[in-house]
Amino acid sequence: MTKEQRLKKRHSAERRFRFYGIASICVALLFVLILVNNIFSKGSSAFMKTVIDVEVFYDPELIEIENGASEENIREADFYDITIETLLKSYPAKNLDEENELIDLFTTDAEIEIKKAFLENNNLIGKKINLEITSSDDIDQLHKGNYPRDLPEDRRRISNFQLKIYDTLVENNKINKNFNNYYFNNGDSRDPELAGIGGALVGSFYSIIICLLLAFPVAVLASIYLEEFAPKNKITDFIEININNLAAVPSIVYGLLALQILLATIQLPRSTPLVAGITLALMTLPRIIIPCRASLKAVPPSIREGALAVGASKFQSVFHHVVPLSLPGTLSGTIIGLAQALGETAPLILIGMVAFVVDIPSTPIDPSSSLPVQVYLWSESAERGFVEKTSATIMMLLSFLIVMNFIAVYLRQKFEKRWN
Amino acid sequence: MSNEHTVKSYEEELQFLVDSVIKMGSLTESQMVDSMDAIIKVDKDSIDKIIKSDDEINKFRSKIDTQIMTLLVKRAPMAIDLRETISSLKISQDLERIGDLSKSNAKKVKPLPLDLPEELLSNLKRLGELVIKQLNDVLDSYVNKNYDKAKEVWKKDEQVDDLTYIAMESVIDFLSKDKKNLDFSTHLIFATKNLERAGDHITNIAESICYLIKGEYLKGSRPKGKVIQE
Amino acid sequence: MNEVKIKSNNLNVFYGDKQALFDVNLDLNEKEVTALIGPSGCGKSTFIRCINRMNDVIDICKVTGNIEIDGVEINDENLDVVSLRERVGMVFQKPNPFPKSIYDNISYGPKIHGKGETKSELDEIVERSLKKAALWEEVKDRLDEPGTGLSGGQQQRLCIARAISVNPEVILMDEPCSALDPIATAKIEELIDELKKTYTIVIVTHSMAQAVRVSQKTGFFHLGKLIEVGKTEKIFKNPDNKMTQDYITGRFG
Ligand SMILES: Nc1ncnc2c1ncn2[C@@H]1O[C@H](COP(=O)(O)OP(=O)(O)O)[C@@H](O)[C@H]1O
Ligand SMILES: [Mg+2]
Repeated sequence: MTKEQRLKKRHSAERRFRFYGIASICVALLFVLILVNNIFSKGSSAFMKTVIDVEVFYDPELIEIENGASEENIREADFYDITIETLLKSYPAKNLDEENELIDLFTTDAEIEIKKAFLENNNLIGKKINLEITSSDDIDQLHKGNYPRDLPEDRRRISNFQLKIYDTLVENNKINKNFNNYYFNNGDSRDPELAGIGGALVGSFYSIIICLLLAFPVAVLASIYLEEFAPKNKITDFIEININNLAAVPSIVYGLLALQILLATIQLPRSTPLVAGITLALMTLPRIIIPCRASLKAVPPSIREGALAVGASKFQSVFHHVVPLSLPGTLSGTIIGLAQALGETAPLILIGMVAFVVDIPSTPIDPSSSLPVQVYLWSESAERGFVEKTSATIMMLLSFLIVMNFIAVYLRQKFEKRWN
Repeated sequence: MSNEHTVKSYEEELQFLVDSVIKMGSLTESQMVDSMDAIIKVDKDSIDKIIKSDDEINKFRSKIDTQIMTLLVKRAPMAIDLRETISSLKISQDLERIGDLSKSNAKKVKPLPLDLPEELLSNLKRLGELVIKQLNDVLDSYVNKNYDKAKEVWKKDEQVDDLTYIAMESVIDFLSKDKKNLDFSTHLIFATKNLERAGDHITNIAESICYLIKGEYLKGSRPKGKVIQE
Repeated sequence: MNEVKIKSNNLNVFYGDKQALFDVNLDLNEKEVTALIGPSGCGKSTFIRCINRMNDVIDICKVTGNIEIDGVEINDENLDVVSLRERVGMVFQKPNPFPKSIYDNISYGPKIHGKGETKSELDEIVERSLKKAALWEEVKDRLDEPGTGLSGGQQQRLCIARAISVNPEVILMDEPCSALDPIATAKIEELIDELKKTYTIVIVTHSMAQAVRVSQKTGFFHLGKLIEVGKTEKIFKNPDNKMTQDYITGRFG
């Protein structure tokens, strides 16, 4: 082979390699794009809700309370009659069937919304106000264009009469889209238009905080001890191998462990962030120890020697120099570990976090859900409204993960010292 | 363990330097032989040739100087190498001076009458032979790195001094017989003195060789003949 | 000749099964520079690391025999290594300033030893150490800049200043100039010359010329044995041992 031929061959090999590289990146990007596009197109509409403009008359005859009644009294009072009255006024219905169908256009929480408006304004008795009542899930989906209206009537959940009302309301500009505060503030619900991730968010938050509080100090101390102080012998080698193994153990195994020990033996309350936090901490521990030890290892021995040579003790050299220098790596490892824990579903399902929980947990020992489990739950539900909620929740989860990873990268780049 | 330098060219450079000194030495030796011959035979034709050969010796000297400087800069020689380098510097210096003395002796031949009495020259001839022998021996000891032989030479300088004294005496005797001899007798005295000086340089060379081999100077002062002691 | 400051007696060092030093008997004189030379891996670093017990850090390293400083045995289980290292400073092959400010680099040692209680005392120690290390003029206006931002030679002088800051009696230097350019090397050598008035210095070097320039005494190690030790001048002009001669003249094969 001549020199030119060899050169040509080498060049074409390099070109081929570059092509393969770029091609595989493109394929990966394509899948990410498809995924993101799919989630976004399905999920983004969940952040809006459909509302119907109605006029509420707080009729003193229908209302059971006096002007200036205490808040407590109002909360206990019955607004049912006013609500029915209001909803029926929004469109003329001829018979009881039609009236029922008309009321079905609104959310089951219409009474609560009317009561809330009453609470927020003083002295509404005998007055009329315009209020935007959340529509039912079917109307919501219809308005967002997710509902096929050209099906025969017997195969649709929306009757012809309801469609007629909807069209009239649209014509009169009575139907609008508003920011969906329920999605963020509410707990789970059987009614898609009322279901929200509030409970899951708080549950996840508690779980992660507990996980952090348990896993971080233990992991950091364990890695400092193993890396800096422990004698290098068979036992520590064995521990090292097992930590690496633990990091690779499927998360569901931790769920089983928690089920057996935390729930069955210790009898901690089921479905709670406390148990979730402990379980996730167990799972995250080796995943933090590994990057933590790596960043301790990355501190050059010359720094340790430098400290020892001026007469620092082993302890001082580690805690004055090595640990501060390894902190950026440690923190970013921790955050990435927590991000993984945040997305973990399987062990939480085992410890009963799949339970249907409406109330937003106020303490870590209240039953609760968590974001990934909520995704799992909603993806199982039949109603169309839950499809967009599933995607929206995935979006939320992804954005938390992205933010956490970004913080990790930022910490590392900002504070990592460069060794000459 | 080999005795070779890890850097081959270093070894070669050092060897080249030593070879140069050896060549210069044999050149100086043959020049001295020639100049002694010229004096003894009062051979005025060979004077020019001897003077010319001194030029060559001088050239050798400056060549060796350059080699030494290059070696010092390039290799920063240590221990035995350092001593080798420095002693070749010193030996080449002494050789050059010996060359100068031979040249000066050759020049002395010009004013000499052709009919010099035999007994006047016999002692000078013996002295010359001794110095030539010394030079030969010292060069030998340099080539073979022979400490004992060098020390022998160093010790034998005493004999050179004594013979110088005797040779001087005979010239002065001759001179005192007839003041007319003054003219060329002075030249003969100078030639004798030159041989004695050459002997001193040879001793220096012997000292350098001893230092080169053992790394220490010969102890005690060199044994001196009567002429010097005066 | 000055008095003996450090005395090693039948010093043997093992790394696991491998013996790194064999019966080393070496005396180091007070306020003098001793150079240690020898091919890589012959145990020079191992030897000087015995003097401040730096080998303790290495699990597999075992040291037998004696080392005395001022007649006091230091190879002793009960000896407090921290106070030993306060007396025996060390400078490494690669400059290793802490990734902290120049000021903090110097003040760290005094701080942990409780020297310099007040800020002004510390200031004074920092200034004195930097001056002694001939670095003060170059850095006095930027004491709060990171030490790692200095040039290699300056970093090494910073490390020397750091070693000086705790007022040691002995300074060990393990190839302190091997990562430096000739000018920086010359500065360090000049500094060593100055420092030897106050401290006992041991320097490991691969440069024969440097050993000749800075030291009064030289020891030659080979395969873990101290082959020859003597006045530097003697070692480099006319060593007694053939191996020494072969090493310094580059005839090792
Ligand atoms: N930490 C260590 N573990 C095992 N062997 C070591 C260690 N440090 C040095 N050695 C061995 O000890 C010998 C001497 O090393 P060292 O003192 O560093 O040599 P030098 O400084 O003269 O180059 C070498 O053979 C080396 O392999
Ligand atoms: Mg070393």
